[in-house]
Amino acid sequence: MSRIVGIDLGTTNSLVAITENGTPRVLPGPDGRNLVPSVIYFDENGGVLVGNAAKEKMIEKPRNTVFSIKRFMGKGLDDVRQDLPLLPFEISAESEHVIRVKVFGRDYTPPELSALILRELKRNAESALGEDISNAVVTVPAYFNDAQRQATKDAGRIAGLDVLRIVNEPTAASLAYGLQERRQGVIAVYDFGGGTFDISILKLSEGIFEVLATSGDTHLGGDDIDELLMRLVLKDLGAAPDVRGVQQIRKAVVGAKEDLSEREAAEIVVEELGLRRGVTRREFEALIDPIVERTLQPCRQALQDAGLKPSAVDEVVMVGGSTRIPFVRRRVQELFERIPHTELNPDEVVALGAAVQADILAGSKRDMLLLDVTPLSLGIETVGGVVSKIIPRNSTIPASATEMFTTFVDGQTNVKIHVLQGERELVKDCRSLANFDLKDIPPMPAGLPRIEVKFLIDADGILNVSAQEQRTGKYQSVQVKPTHGLTDEEIERMLLESFEYAEADIEARQVIEARNEAETVLRSTEKGVADEQYQALSEEEKAAINQAANRLREVMNSNDHGAIRNGIEQLSQSTQRLAELIMNAAIQKALKDKRVREIQ
Amino acid sequence: MRLRKLVLDVVVNYFEVFDLPRLLNIDPKALEKKFHALSRKHHPDYFSTAPIEQRELAVRMTALLNDAYRTLRHPVRRVEYLLNLEGYKPDGSKAPKSFLMDVFELNEQIEEAKAGRASEEQKTALRNEIERRAAQFDAEIRKASDEWDRLARDGREETQMKNQLMRMNEILSEASYIHNLKEELEAIG
Repeated sequence: MSRIVGIDLGTTNSLVAITENGTPRVLPGPDGRNLVPSVIYFDENGGVLVGNAAKEKMIEKPRNTVFSIKRFMGKGLDDVRQDLPLLPFEISAESEHVIRVKVFGRDYTPPELSALILRELKRNAESALGEDISNAVVTVPAYFNDAQRQATKDAGRIAGLDVLRIVNEPTAASLAYGLQERRQGVIAVYDFGGGTFDISILKLSEGIFEVLATSGDTHLGGDDIDELLMRLVLKDLGAAPDVRGVQQIRKAVVGAKEDLSEREAAEIVVEELGLRRGVTRREFEALIDPIVERTLQPCRQALQDAGLKPSAVDEVVMVGGSTRIPFVRRRVQELFERIPHTELNPDEVVALGAAVQADILAGSKRDMLLLDVTPLSLGIETVGGVVSKIIPRNSTIPASATEMFTTFVDGQTNVKIHVLQGERELVKDCRSLANFDLKDIPPMPAGLPRIEVKFLIDADGILNVSAQEQRTGKYQSVQVKPTHGLTDEEIERMLLESFEYAEADIEARQVIEARNEAETVLRSTEKGVADEQYQALSEEEKAAINQAANRLREVMNSNDHGAIRNGIEQLSQSTQRLAELIMNAAIQKALKDKRVREIQ
Repeated sequence: MRLRKLVLDVVVNYFEVFDLPRLLNIDPKALEKKFHALSRKHHPDYFSTAPIEQRELAVRMTALLNDAYRTLRHPVRRVEYLLNLEGYKPDGSKAPKSFLMDVFELNEQIEEAKAGRASEEQKTALRNEIERRAAQFDAEIRKASDEWDRLARDGREETQMKNQLMRMNEILSEASYIHNLKEELEAIG
């Protein structure tokens, strides 16, 4: 397996890092710079620039230079309406469930755009290391919901990266911090970046980094501070400038904001617009006070959820560019009653932590372990539009829950399930994740079928679902309609349209991948058939497995990847109960092994 | 969210995961230590380059472990889980009438406070009352847990055990209301 890199896919800047001999380091781009601005420029001929070169085009080519795309990940039009007035690039009319940015008449979803940034980082890592890179750990804000996490994984897939793990940014930061300081005790990571805010409270003991609680706001960051300043200036100007003017103002206010971290006063200057406005630090602090207050509320919530008073926190670690603002540091210091750590480079610490996690996954580091949590409660819709919570927020992941469903009318063969994330009581106040159809339920009198649905949040914080009818033991086919996500078919198409591969290459690649998977599935089927649990199956079940395996062997040498995938699906279906029996036996055995050792 | 086939129906209960008897007094320090040791053994992070079967097993084992820890570390969830194992299902609608009336009254006061129509004294009194109720509930749970453990250790006859389960089931019918009241504490301001 190729080496695993750690990637911080940020709202404003992105970085790639690697751990070598136990020490993580950032890999610079060919221009020697560590930070790759998360900016993408498209030219009229289909050319694309990413990073510093693209950032230079923001004023000159505002309509085809895309930035802060992370804020749109896993979102629909209604979620981002407030951002639209100041956006220089066009949002497609077809953005109801998934935002689409229109450039030169072509629509791009946030995962596709993020994939362009990931591909740039991949290339940077490859040229810095002199080898191919196909595996990565990618960080996301801790408060990202299911759709936002899935969108990030999709971006990796489109970029040709195998995302082995999604890690929460504050937790990654704590890994880098803990590695350096060998700390024990309770730490709070206050992560205030370009577009998002997170607070995570962790307990560090003997190499275990256990997240106790996390909270945040995925639409609160330096961008919001910039917008406040922009609105201030725009109000003074009176007449609204064109997009080029807006971008010039954006650049000028960012400069002034950064100056104010060093000095008592700064100037916002745009010569072309005849704009020259002074801002004092006092004025700036009054302006951003509501934003900073919005970061403190989640801090209090996280403390409460962790069952801790502020004084129980031993250390506060500051992460993200917005923590350079002295006022932010002061307010955090007041809340936690201690001076926060600001000695780590707030721009790089997340990427370094991602590289540490990559090292753990690669198997080189067994003394550290991260136990993270799910930031939001998972629930299902019940009668009257009320959400019934099945996995509470701050549960350590992976986490699972099982629910029983039945039918309401005789012979009903379909049951609909609506899954949501959030803390509020009513469906309309929570985030819709998906609608499921449990199909092909054997016709029975109402209330008789017992369909057990298992929800599992994996180590990436992403939900997986399966269903089984208990009376017949039959697995249900479940159809998922993600509310704010891309379907597998759409991702497949994006891969096809991606820039690096010709269509023929992609198809060849798909066939090879399907064949590899077929081999894996056939191998594990053979193992399964040799397992003692196989004897517990009925003759009918055994025959179905045999038939599906033969069928897959027949098609796997064809060049039709669809047919191969079909064969894999059929075989997986027919071996599901066998897999279940083997897994249960393995779990029983794992628990028994432990006991035997304890007795010895 | 993606659809993935999962293995269902693990027939191991949470007490067995930690190799504990079905008792309700659990030493949190010892439980945490076991939890960490088992996590170090089974966590998917240590299997990311292993074959798919082992990766799956790691995810399933760790989910089971986390679910078990989440449930058993919490004094109320622990009782609820034991009741489920024994075939009882605490039902909020079966809480005593007088209790429900009191909760209704408290909720009205919370709404008033949230709408800014309560004086500082009223808010303090309200907070104190919620905290008193919560403490009283916790004490009842503790007492019932101690009683269960005593009966179980002494190997008492079935009717006594059953009565104790019914008693706990009754106490737990109030749990969700107490939980909700506690959640509101912050919101009262």
